[in-house]
Amino acid sequence: MQTPNMDPEVAQWVEMLQSPELNERLVAIKSLQHLGDEDAIEPLIAALNDESPTVQTLAVTTLWELANPVAIPPLIECLSSPHAEVRDEALSALKELVSTQDLMKLLDVLQQEDAHAQLNVLVLLRKIHDAQALPFILPFFQSERPELREAAVTTLRYLNQVVRCEPALALAEDPVESVRRSTALTLGHLSDQEVVPLLCRLLTADPDWQVRRNAAQSLELLADPAAIDSLVAAMADPEWQVRKFTARALQQTADERAIPALIKALSDEYSDVRRDAATALGNLGQPSTLSALQQTLDDPDMDVRIYSERAIVNIQASQSETSNA
Amino acid sequence: MNTQYLKTDFLVVGGGTAGTMAAIKAKQASPESDVLILEKANIRRSGAIAMGMDGVNTAVIPGNSTPEQYAREITIANDGILNQKAVYETGRLGFEVIQELESWGVKFQKDHEGNYDLKQVHRVGKYVLPMPEGKDLKKILSRQVKRHKVNVTNRVMATRVMVQDGRVTGAVGLDVRSGDFVVIQANAVVLCTGACGRLGLPASGYLYGTYENPTNAGDGYSMAYHAGAELTNIECFQINPLIKDYNGPACAYVASPFGAYTANAEGHRFINCDYWSGQMMLEVWKELNSGKGPVHLKMYHLDDDTISEIESILWDNERPSRGRFHQERGENYRTHGVEMNISEIGLCSGHSASGVWVNEKAETTVSGLYAAGDMASVPHNYMIGAFVYGRIAGQNAMEHIQSLDHVEPDAEFLAAEQARIYQPLQQPEGVPHTQMEYKLRRLVNDYLQPPKSPNKMDIGLMKFVAYEQTLEKMGAKDPHELMRCMEVHFIRDCAEMAARASLYRKESRWGLYHYRLDYPEKNNEEWFCHVNIKKNKAGQMELFKRPVEPYVVNVDLEEEVYDVAVR
Amino acid sequence: MALTTQRVDVPVIVDESKCLEKCVACIEVCPLDVLVKNPDTGKAYMKYDECWFCLPCEKECPTNAITVQIPFLLR
Ligand SMILES: Cc1cc2nc3c(=O)[nH]c(=O)nc-3n(C[C@H](O)[C@H](O)[C@H](O)COP(=O)(O)OP(=O)(O)OC[C@H]3O[C@@H](n4cnc5c(N)ncnc54)[C@H](O)[C@@H]3O)c2cc1C
Ligand code: SF4
Ligand code: SF4
Repeated sequence: MQTPNMDPEVAQWVEMLQSPELNERLVAIKSLQHLGDEDAIEPLIAALNDESPTVQTLAVTTLWELANPVAIPPLIECLSSPHAEVRDEALSALKELVSTQDLMKLLDVLQQEDAHAQLNVLVLLRKIHDAQALPFILPFFQSERPELREAAVTTLRYLNQVVRCEPALALAEDPVESVRRSTALTLGHLSDQEVVPLLCRLLTADPDWQVRRNAAQSLELLADPAAIDSLVAAMADPEWQVRKFTARALQQTADERAIPALIKALSDEYSDVRRDAATALGNLGQPSTLSALQQTLDDPDMDVRIYSERAIVNIQASQSETSNA
Repeated sequence: MNTQYLKTDFLVVGGGTAGTMAAIKAKQASPESDVLILEKANIRRSGAIAMGMDGVNTAVIPGNSTPEQYAREITIANDGILNQKAVYETGRLGFEVIQELESWGVKFQKDHEGNYDLKQVHRVGKYVLPMPEGKDLKKILSRQVKRHKVNVTNRVMATRVMVQDGRVTGAVGLDVRSGDFVVIQANAVVLCTGACGRLGLPASGYLYGTYENPTNAGDGYSMAYHAGAELTNIECFQINPLIKDYNGPACAYVASPFGAYTANAEGHRFINCDYWSGQMMLEVWKELNSGKGPVHLKMYHLDDDTISEIESILWDNERPSRGRFHQERGENYRTHGVEMNISEIGLCSGHSASGVWVNEKAETTVSGLYAAGDMASVPHNYMIGAFVYGRIAGQNAMEHIQSLDHVEPDAEFLAAEQARIYQPLQQPEGVPHTQMEYKLRRLVNDYLQPPKSPNKMDIGLMKFVAYEQTLEKMGAKDPHELMRCMEVHFIRDCAEMAARASLYRKESRWGLYHYRLDYPEKNNEEWFCHVNIKKNKAGQMELFKRPVEPYVVNVDLEEEVYDVAVR
Repeated sequence: MALTTQRVDVPVIVDESKCLEKCVACIEVCPLDVLVKNPDTGKAYMKYDECWFCLPCEKECPTNAITVQIPFLLR
C-alpha cells in the first residue's frame, strides 16, 4: 500500500499500521496523525475497517485533520458504524467537511434503513441548507422514532427558501414533548395560514413549559397582531421564561390591551421579565404607564433601571411629538 | 551542548494564532521564499487557542457593523489612547480573515439560514461570534502551515533578536530539550510570542494557574525591548474578571445569550455590559469591596436543559477543564453561582493595550522587526486582531526583504548571549527558578496591583531593579529548567517596565487598569498621549510621551464617555 | 546549597498499564513540556509541576492512559 516516493518516516508508520499487534497499530496511527502527511490517506481509509474501534476512531480523526475530500464517502459510511464512538467522530468530522457537492450521497443514506445513520444525516443537512432535501425529510415526520421526528422538524428550519410546510404542522400535536418543542421553534420560520393560531394554542395550552416558551419565541419572530389575546394571557404563565419571551413578543406587537398585564410584570420576581416588560411599555408610548415605570427606577437590578429609564424617555418623546402636532 | 546554525528569509517567533497566520501569508505572498516558525512548544497545541476558542470577540461582519463603528467603539473603550488607523485595520480585514478560516474548515456559529449568528456583548453593536465547535482551530492552522510548506522548528525558545547596523538580522534561542544553542539568520523577524501572562502571582499561589497560557511569559516584550524597539501603554494592565481560583474565563460571553449574567451577592446585576474593559473592572472591583460582594456568574435561575447546553460548550472548548474544576468542588451551575474574582495583573494588548509599538503595517520601530498578536500594541485586538496582524506582518515582511542579504552574526554578541543563557547550568545548586519566580511575582502583586500607590510603586521599582542581580543566583539542572530561568528574566524586564510606565503617567485612565490613588482623575490636558519606553544608547530604560496620531474616524471623547454603570 | 526533595501532589496521572512504550503523543503536544518518558519503564510521567490543566495530553492519548486533575492549590 506504499506509494514509491513516500517519505521513509511516513512509510515506517504505514507499515506498522498493518501489524497484528493492536498497540503497534495505535502508535502507528497516532504518529501518522501528528505527521499529517497526505501520502498516508489510502492506508488511513483502509484503517477505517480495522478490527479495533479505537483504531477506526483515530483513523476518522486523522482523515478529518487531513481534510481531503476523497475521504468523505468512506466517512459517510462510518455514520452507520455499530460503534457509537466511531459514528460520533465521523459526524463531527463530516460537520466540518461536507459541502453541497455531497448532498446526493447524504440523501442516499437517508433511504437506508439505519436509524443511526439517518439521524446523523439529518443533522448534517443543517450544514448544507439545501431545499432539495425537503422531500427526503418529509417521510420522517411519520417515523416511529421520536428522535427522528424531532431531528427532521429541526432540520426543516435550516432549509433555505422553505416557507410553507403543511405536513410539519401536525407535529405540534405530537405525543412526545421534545418533538413539540422543536416544532414550536420551527413554526416561527413558516408562514402557513394555520401557524399563528397553532402557536397561540401551544403558548396557552401546552402542558410542557418549554413548548410554551418556544411558542412565545416564534410569536416574537412572526410579530402577528392576531396573537395578542394569547400573549396577554401568557403573561400570567407560572413559568418565568414563558413570561419573559411573551413580554418580548409583546414588544413587537404593540396593543393597549396588554398594558395591565405588562404593568403587573414590572413587579415580577424575575428581573428579565421586569426589564422586558418595561421595554414593551416604552414601545406602547402611553403616558398613563409613566408612574408605574417611574417606580422601577430604583429596582435593585441595573438592567431593569436602564431599560425602564429608556422606556420613560421613549414615552416622553412620543408625547412631545403628539403635543407638537 | 552544540550550536545549530539555521538560515531563513523570514523568521516567525511563536507559532500561535498570529504566528501561524504570518507564516502562511508570507508563503502565499512569496512561495519561493523560505519561512521558518520557531516555537517554544509544538504548534499543534500551543498558545492561547491550544484547545480552541469560545468565540470571536471582535467580528466586524458586513450588514452587522462597519470598521468605522468598530474603530469608534474601541476608541471609546480605550479612552482615546490608540493608533486608530491600526485598530481600523482589524475591523477592515477581520471579515476576510473569518472567511479564509472558514474556507480552511473553521466553524463559526450560523443561524438557521446560514448567516453568522452574532451576539451583542459590547455596549453597542454586535461583534461577538460564537464558535462552539472551535476546539480544532489549532489543528486546522497546523494543517495549513504544512500545506503551505512552511518550515517548523518546535521546542526551541527564542531569547534575543539580533540587530546589526540598525536592522534585524535574526534571532538566537535555546533548544529546550537538547539544550542546543540555536542561531538563526533571517532578513525579517516577526515576534508573535503572546502576552506577558506570568507577571502577577495568581491568588492561588500556583505559578502556572494563570489566565494566559503560561508559555507566554512576556518573552516578546522583553526581546523587543532589548532589540531597541519602542513599547507602549505598558501601564494599561490586563486584569480580568475570572472564575475564582481556577483563574479562567467563566465565560459570560457564551452564557449571556442563554440568559446568564454577572450578579452581586444579592443576585442583582450591577454592570450593564459584560465586555471586558478597565471601566468594567473598576465596577467589579468597587462591588467586591462594597458590602454587596462577592460577585458571581448567575445561571441558577435557568432551567436544566439550558444549563446543560451551556455546559456542553464551556466544558468542551477553550478551557475544557472548567467542568472538572466545578465537579471536583461539588459545585453545580444549577444550584451555585460561579464565584468570580479579579485576576492578578498581566500585559496583553489582545485584552487591553500594552504592547510593542506597531503601526498599521505591523512594523515596530526597528527596521525588519515586526510584531503581531497579544504582544503588539493594537488594543482590544483579541483573536481576530492576532490573525489580521499576523497576516499584515507576513505580507509586509516579504516585501521588505526583497533586496536584503543575510548578515554574518556578530561573534561577540553570540558569545555574550550564550554565556547569559547557560549561566544557571554552571550552578545547578543555585536558587531554583520556581522560588525565584514566586518571589518576583509576589512582589509584583505587592507593589503594582491596582489601585496604584506611588510610594508602593517606587519601592517596587527599586526591588525589580535589584532583582537583576538576584537572578544571577538562579541555578538549573537541565535544558527545561533553563527555559524557565530565561522566562524569569523576561518577567523581570516586564515588571520593571510596568512599574516605570505606571509611575510616569500621572493621572488615572482605563478604569482599574491604571487607577492611581494620588491622581484619581483623568487629565487629558497633560496625558492625552502614549507613554512609550525604549532602551536608550546607554542601555537604560527611557520613557517619553508619544502623541496620539490623528484619528481616521471622528470620535468626540468629551461626549462619548465609556460607562458601564448607571448612576 | 543543598536541595531537598519535597513531595508535591501531582495533578497529571498516567495509568502505566495502559501507556504504550513506543508512543510519545502526550509528550509531543504538552505546551508546557512537563511530560517525559521514564527511561527504565518506557512509560510517560509528569516530571515538572508546571501544568496549565489545558488537556491536550488527555485528548491525544490513544489509550486514555492520562488523567489530569486540577492542581491541588486551585482545587
Ligand atoms: C483562556 C483564553 C480565552 C480567550 N478567549 C477568547 C475568545 O473567546 N475570543 C477571542 O477573540 N479571543 C479570546 N482570547 C484572546 C485570544 O486568544 C488571543 O488574543 C490570541 O490568541 C493571541 O494570539 P497570539 O498569537 O498573540 O498568542 P498565542 O496564540 O498565545 O501564541 C503565542 C505563541 O508563542 C509561543 N512562544 C512564546 N514564547 C516564545 C519564545 N520565547 N520562543 C518561541 N515561541 C514562543 C507560544 O508557545 C505560543 O505558541 C482568549 C485568550 C485566553 C488565554
Ligand atoms: S494538561 Fe496541559 S499542561 Fe498539563 S500535562 Fe496535559 S498538556 Fe501538559
Ligand atoms: S499518549 Fe498515552 S500512551 Fe502515549 S505516551 Fe502518553 S500516556 Fe502513554
